[in-house]
Amino acid sequence: MKKLVFVVLLIIAGFHCFGQDVTETFNSTRIVNSHSTEILRKKMWEYRIEHRFGDIAGANGGGQTAFGFDQAADIRMAMEYGITDKLMAGLGRSKGIGRPYTSLCDLFLAGRFLTQNKEKHMPVSAALVQTLYYTYMKQINDGQSVAYFDNKFSRRVAYSTQLVLTRKFSDRFSLAIMPTYVHRNYVSQTDLNDLFSVGFAANFKITKSIGVILEYFANVESENFRSDAMNSLGVGFEFVTNGHNFHINLTNARGFGELQYVALTQENWLKGQFRLGFSISRNFKIKTA
Amino acid sequence: MPIKNVAKKIAQPYSIKIRLCKFGYQYDDENIKMNKFLLALCVIFIIVLYSFNSGESEWKKVLNSDTENLSLEAVRLALGADKGSFHMENFDPEKAKIGLELILKGKTKRGFFKSKVISSYFVCTDCHNVGREFKNSSDQNPSSRLDFAKVNNLPFLPASTFWGIYNRTSFFNDDYIKKYGDIIKDAKQSLPGSIQVCAKYCSSGRYLKSWELEAIIHYFKANELKIKDLSLTNNQKDAISRIQSLSETEKSDLLASINNSFTQGYSAHFAETMPRDDRKYGVGGDVDNGKFIYEKACLHCHLDGRVTYLKLGNDKLSAQMFLKNKSTYDDLSVYQIIRQGTYAMPGRNQYMPRFTKDKMSDQQIEDLMAYLTQLAEKQ
Repeated sequence: MKKLVFVVLLIIAGFHCFGQDVTETFNSTRIVNSHSTEILRKKMWEYRIEHRFGDIAGANGGGQTAFGFDQAADIRMAMEYGITDKLMAGLGRSKGIGRPYTSLCDLFLAGRFLTQNKEKHMPVSAALVQTLYYTYMKQINDGQSVAYFDNKFSRRVAYSTQLVLTRKFSDRFSLAIMPTYVHRNYVSQTDLNDLFSVGFAANFKITKSIGVILEYFANVESENFRSDAMNSLGVGFEFVTNGHNFHINLTNARGFGELQYVALTQENWLKGQFRLGFSISRNFKIKTA
Repeated sequence: MPIKNVAKKIAQPYSIKIRLCKFGYQYDDENIKMNKFLLALCVIFIIVLYSFNSGESEWKKVLNSDTENLSLEAVRLALGADKGSFHMENFDPEKAKIGLELILKGKTKRGFFKSKVISSYFVCTDCHNVGREFKNSSDQNPSSRLDFAKVNNLPFLPASTFWGIYNRTSFFNDDYIKKYGDIIKDAKQSLPGSIQVCAKYCSSGRYLKSWELEAIIHYFKANELKIKDLSLTNNQKDAISRIQSLSETEKSDLLASINNSFTQGYSAHFAETMPRDDRKYGVGGDVDNGKFIYEKACLHCHLDGRVTYLKLGNDKLSAQMFLKNKSTYDDLSVYQIIRQGTYAMPGRNQYMPRFTKDKMSDQQIEDLMAYLTQLAEKQ
């Protein structure tokens, strides 16, 4: 109980820290697939459009699919909002990669409870992201399928919890570690309901507005299950303008959200199963006065 | 009969018993008798006294405080100045408190509810200081402003301070007509009008409700100039303390000298972007001044995108971005953006106001460039 109180107090203290906080550890609220410790400012809205094309090479890629441009592995549109300067929420809808999910909605809450601050001897920034996923796809009438939802709401639901720890080492270079937990209520016999993964990311800014990012998620799981699963690896190039953030990236993950890129990635970079993706975000404030 | 006894006899029917219980004394056995004639004389004297002073009762109240703390407005009115477009009769400190909250936060609490925010994008103090900005209250020189800001660690902002705005007689002066046109037609000589223009247009917000406007003006009244704030000579201060005995000519001269000792309207001259050939790119600029300007002007709004989307930090990459654009006429050139600012547009209402020549000099821009050059080359 004392530990719980201590943790709560620590979080509250984190939400109320002032001083020379380190800013712009990452350029946006996302790294490649993962969340970062950047949080939208209070009352700021962000509209995001994200897209992943098909495989660039391999059996499903190459010239016949214009190196993946003919296919859309996943598409996500989302509206996100800064509740306070350290707490944001978002609601998104993805096409879903169909393995098994399509028509996938996500609702998340992200809060930064520690902010890197030299004067306060706080070496890292930390954020906690809690996401709820719900698919409203039609159920498949095959009782062996994970998409046989049996008309139960709970079978359509999954969750993820992600702790994001970041540190800005210099004006140009930042690192992140993202321990992630994904829970799916309903999985196939060869799969696991609970998955753990640890993400690593680096951000290198070439100029104030141009940067290169690298992200890797290492799944922690038994080899007896999920024999098809692969770790997600992405490299991105980002360009920031006044109110916009453009990401162009290459990744083997097909889908958006921890549920998909952690749990459902099966593509292998070495087989050419990586794809071009982009995300565009636009920040704005709604005139309420 | 001795005169003493005669007086006693006459006064007897009008004897008054005075009890000074308040002080712990009781004069039960002592009667102070007042002659009917004396009583009548006293009443007449009081009536005469008040009738002679009725026009200057306000001034009599003011005289109770020492000269240094006299309100500039009261002194000017006593010297025969016009009340101008705005004059507050009854100051309410509670309203002033609400006014300050509106200025700092853009909203306040009314009963159980919060008032609607004045602007979704700005608060007043993003562009205005609330305190003194010059050592000399009639000074408008940007280098004096910078010196005073450095000594007092004040933000170095594009708009004029609220300190003493209650005493000003003109607003949105000189070149602001080029930017706002007819919008400021009725605001130029009116404090309430100029506040409304600022709330609606300058802050991309809305017109104030009457109670909000009133509260802000009460705050301005609380922040008005006092005699001690002006650079007056001892002779002038002495004359103020003897204001009732001054002749009309002396009053007129004193009023003129007081009017010259404070800023009644801040100059606002727009400047064109400095031509490329005239730019020194910081060579010979004062790095300390530049550092202060970057931290107290640029980062006041741009630090981590507090007010605007353009995030800046006191770091090498931000400085390099400006240096890369230093010779352009682009928004990322400090020569351009400081002089032209940006305009509000749908979806991006948090624009950047321009710095007039009176708020930031060309030399100060060079000082800023000198600092950015040093920051960009930092190891």
